[in-house]
Amino acid sequence: MVIPALLFVSVFTLYPTIRTFLLSFHQIFLALPSLGQPFVGLENYSLLFNDHVSQQAFLVTVGFVLLSTMAELILGLGIALVIHEPFKGRAGVRAAVLIPWAIPTVVASQLWRFIFNDQYGLANLIVFGNHISQYIPWLAFPQSAFLIIVLADVWKTSSFVGLLLLAGLQIIPEDLYDAARIDGASAWQRFRHVTLPLLKPAFLIALLFRTIDAFRVFDLVFVMTQGGPGDATQVIQFYGYKTFFTEGRIGYGSAISVSVFLMIVFLSLFYIRSIGSKLLAREQS
Amino acid sequence: MPRILPMPFLPIGSTLTFFVLLLCWPTNIQASDPFVKESDISLTQSVLHFVTWKADQPKVWDEAIGRFEKAHPHIQIKREIAPHSSTAYHDLLTQKLKNHDSSLDVFFMDVIWPAEFAEAGWARPLDDWFSPAQQERFLPGPIRAGTYRQHIYGVPSRIDSGMLYYRLDLLKKYGFQPPHTWEELVAQANTIIKREQASHPALRGYSGQFKQYEGLVCDMMEFILSNNGSLLNDNHSLSTLTNPQTLKAVEFVRDQMIQQLASPAVLTYEEPESLAIFVQGKSVFHRNWPYAWGLANDPRHSKIVGMVGVAPLPHFPNGRSISTLGGWLYGISAYSKHPKEAWTFIQFMTSSTMQKIFAVDAALAPSRPALYFNREVLQANPQYRDFLPVFQAATPRPQTPVYPIISHIWQRFFSRVLASSHSDILQEAQRADQQIHHFLTLARHNRS
Amino acid sequence: MKKSFAEQVILTSGIFLTVSGSLFPFLWFVLTSLKTQLEVESIPPIFWPTVNFAFYRSALVDHHLSSYLFNSLIVAGSTTMISIFLALPAAYALVRFALRGKELILGGLLTISMFPPLVIAGPVWQILEGINGLNTLWGLILPYVSLTLPLAIWILATFFKDLPVELEEAARIDGCTTRQTLVTIMIPLASPGIFTAAILTFIYAWNEFFFALLILTDPMRQTLPVGIALFQGEFTMPWGEIAAASVLATLPLILLVLLFQRGIISGLSAGAVKG
Repeated sequence: MVIPALLFVSVFTLYPTIRTFLLSFHQIFLALPSLGQPFVGLENYSLLFNDHVSQQAFLVTVGFVLLSTMAELILGLGIALVIHEPFKGRAGVRAAVLIPWAIPTVVASQLWRFIFNDQYGLANLIVFGNHISQYIPWLAFPQSAFLIIVLADVWKTSSFVGLLLLAGLQIIPEDLYDAARIDGASAWQRFRHVTLPLLKPAFLIALLFRTIDAFRVFDLVFVMTQGGPGDATQVIQFYGYKTFFTEGRIGYGSAISVSVFLMIVFLSLFYIRSIGSKLLAREQS
Repeated sequence: MPRILPMPFLPIGSTLTFFVLLLCWPTNIQASDPFVKESDISLTQSVLHFVTWKADQPKVWDEAIGRFEKAHPHIQIKREIAPHSSTAYHDLLTQKLKNHDSSLDVFFMDVIWPAEFAEAGWARPLDDWFSPAQQERFLPGPIRAGTYRQHIYGVPSRIDSGMLYYRLDLLKKYGFQPPHTWEELVAQANTIIKREQASHPALRGYSGQFKQYEGLVCDMMEFILSNNGSLLNDNHSLSTLTNPQTLKAVEFVRDQMIQQLASPAVLTYEEPESLAIFVQGKSVFHRNWPYAWGLANDPRHSKIVGMVGVAPLPHFPNGRSISTLGGWLYGISAYSKHPKEAWTFIQFMTSSTMQKIFAVDAALAPSRPALYFNREVLQANPQYRDFLPVFQAATPRPQTPVYPIISHIWQRFFSRVLASSHSDILQEAQRADQQIHHFLTLARHNRS
Repeated sequence: MKKSFAEQVILTSGIFLTVSGSLFPFLWFVLTSLKTQLEVESIPPIFWPTVNFAFYRSALVDHHLSSYLFNSLIVAGSTTMISIFLALPAAYALVRFALRGKELILGGLLTISMFPPLVIAGPVWQILEGINGLNTLWGLILPYVSLTLPLAIWILATFFKDLPVELEEAARIDGCTTRQTLVTIMIPLASPGIFTAAILTFIYAWNEFFFALLILTDPMRQTLPVGIALFQGEFTMPWGEIAAASVLATLPLILLVLLFQRGIISGLSAGAVKG
């Protein structure tokens, strides 16, 4: 019964991964076929480590992951806290919050690209009103382009994090809060000493999902900046895409993919280890 | 767990039916190809697969292909529509060719691809059919671009090269002739902007393509080479970005053009955005390909109809005007099973008759110089009179099979340097030189 | 519990910020899609449109939007159906039967669902080339199914785990085969989970961009994400059409989300919290 599903997954996921692994140990230039496809061991990887461009791509990616995940955790917590409170129209707020999540990433990318457009953008309208000569081309500066990519991702995914945290909030027993109130704890103290500690597992899960997902960012960069300006938004998956598909550097491009893949696998193993044991403990108790 | 909706179990049958339907989904739907006659079953019939993109004027192409098929009933043309973006089109072609895909016969090559396609053995040499005498009837730039190591791989289709567009009315108002040097352009633009400040506070001096993509290389090459700088040395063995003339030109672009005259916004512009600025009357000068002329004078899109002038691009003192060569060539796949038929098709599409039709009906600049003196062509496109000398002198980008790799390095270098007014141009140039050298060496080893 | 005034203020502003932050940006796009070309190009930007649907017409007719919608519908719909169809027996087996390496399979599936597309893109392209699947919808559906199966199996397994074993034991006593048990008893009971898995799969397939970009190059075959990302006007950036196309691309999902809010939220959070 499991076989058909496993078959699919093996053919289209496992086999390609293995093949990419193997390719990464060869030097393959599509445009230079008479160089052959020699086996070069770890040369592609050492190139990867020493190359300024890939180093910057890794930095950009890591920076993106850190910033976006942090912001999403904080905003997500805010959203979860708001939705957790009973009030009239709560379902409507919940629905509203799900909308950024439901929007295709490509659409969100075009949307934010338009908002920060130097001519017709909403951002300029809000900040500068009618003084059109002061309008800023937000995506033309490396730092702001990077931050805008982060912003677009945060807008899109905070609600998802919020939902994960909401589930965590919902299993905190009300009596703990009552006990704390009786002891005279203020709202902030209740939050710090009851909510936050009990929310930790949910936090870790959200952290796991978001970190891994953030490493795979591609759509945003492709649509909004194509990696520019000056590679300021060139995340690793975009760099790999350009190298593999446009430059035809199959071997090196495969090494890039494998590196991303390994980072993600290690991250997941690390998280699953640290969360997994906690969850198992909880289930048993 | 509360039931949300009672859900009847999906019959396995419907799923399977759907799947089967999908498998049978016809994979050869032609969008708008009324000229494909399924009933023409002839024993010697060959089908040519032509990978092209959605045309701006599809009717002209449909009619052209229809004419060909009528004249050659034993050849049927099947068009496959590829993406509009040059990069995406390139990636699609290379994927097919690297797999020796025989279902590909005729395709277009951007002028920067023949070296790569020739070296990889993807494009068929056309020396047997495309004689030097015939080649001479085309513009020299595209022919050079289609030639690699003394073999010709492409037949020029339409030509493009960078031009300077300017606001005729504004220059006339302040008594300026089109500038010959970049410094003149800067001076003129500054004067005009200052004096027009009151009525046009958002007027800019210049609009061009400086986003991190191939167009950036085109624009920058025009600056660099017009200062007697260079990107590579003559035999393509060295990268010459650290050449003082190259550095000076790049510095000029960063400090005078982008940070001052044009506004950093151009760092996010490709052709459409930069043209929009110009046709909305917000820029005094504009660099673009020939197609911009038609749009700048189209009342549906432009606010400056009749106020547009075009001239060769300026240069630096002691340099000469450089215009980057663009455009497309027809190529035949080395793995095509119908090379002769493919050649017949290409010959037809690049003939004087057909190029004239494309020029008159679709405003595609022909690659045959004789047509620039043709009455009908000039009637439909009077600006071609001014364009011809620029086309004849158009400069191709360096030809090398590793062009995509090197172009990415150039794009990165230019974009990084231009994006920040404190960039260390020399250091970035040294770094880029080093990387480019690595790939040039590999390319040379490939040859030996 | 009565809230202090400060708490109420905080809550209200929290609600306001949350709702406006979530909706306002997208609303801007909706407003843009209803403008005229002149209004879109006006500088400084105008806020309110004179409502007209020219961009929608233009996007649908001149820019292939109708084929993008159609293709996306087929791809997402088929992926969902096939994925669920394959995931159901797999999840059931993994939960109920003592299979060797069960933990490994489940964990492995989860890890696989986190693969970056780049790692498998090249070889997948080659496989599809070999079976003539490039530029076809079914050629895209195959890798999609493989990419959505892990999550679908995982969600379904979670739901199956919760169902009481007694029902199945009763069925077995009555003489049902495993398949009959699955079909007649388990599936109806786990329908919330199936819904969740189906919706999440659908949304994933509808929004997927990387593979669609690589595999579909003919505009008549492209799905919405590719169409919207590569949206190119011949002359200028067609922001109005892009906005219209975006709204149309998102409406089905918004509808799904609004209708099945509870299911989605419980599915997402239950899966996560139960681990």
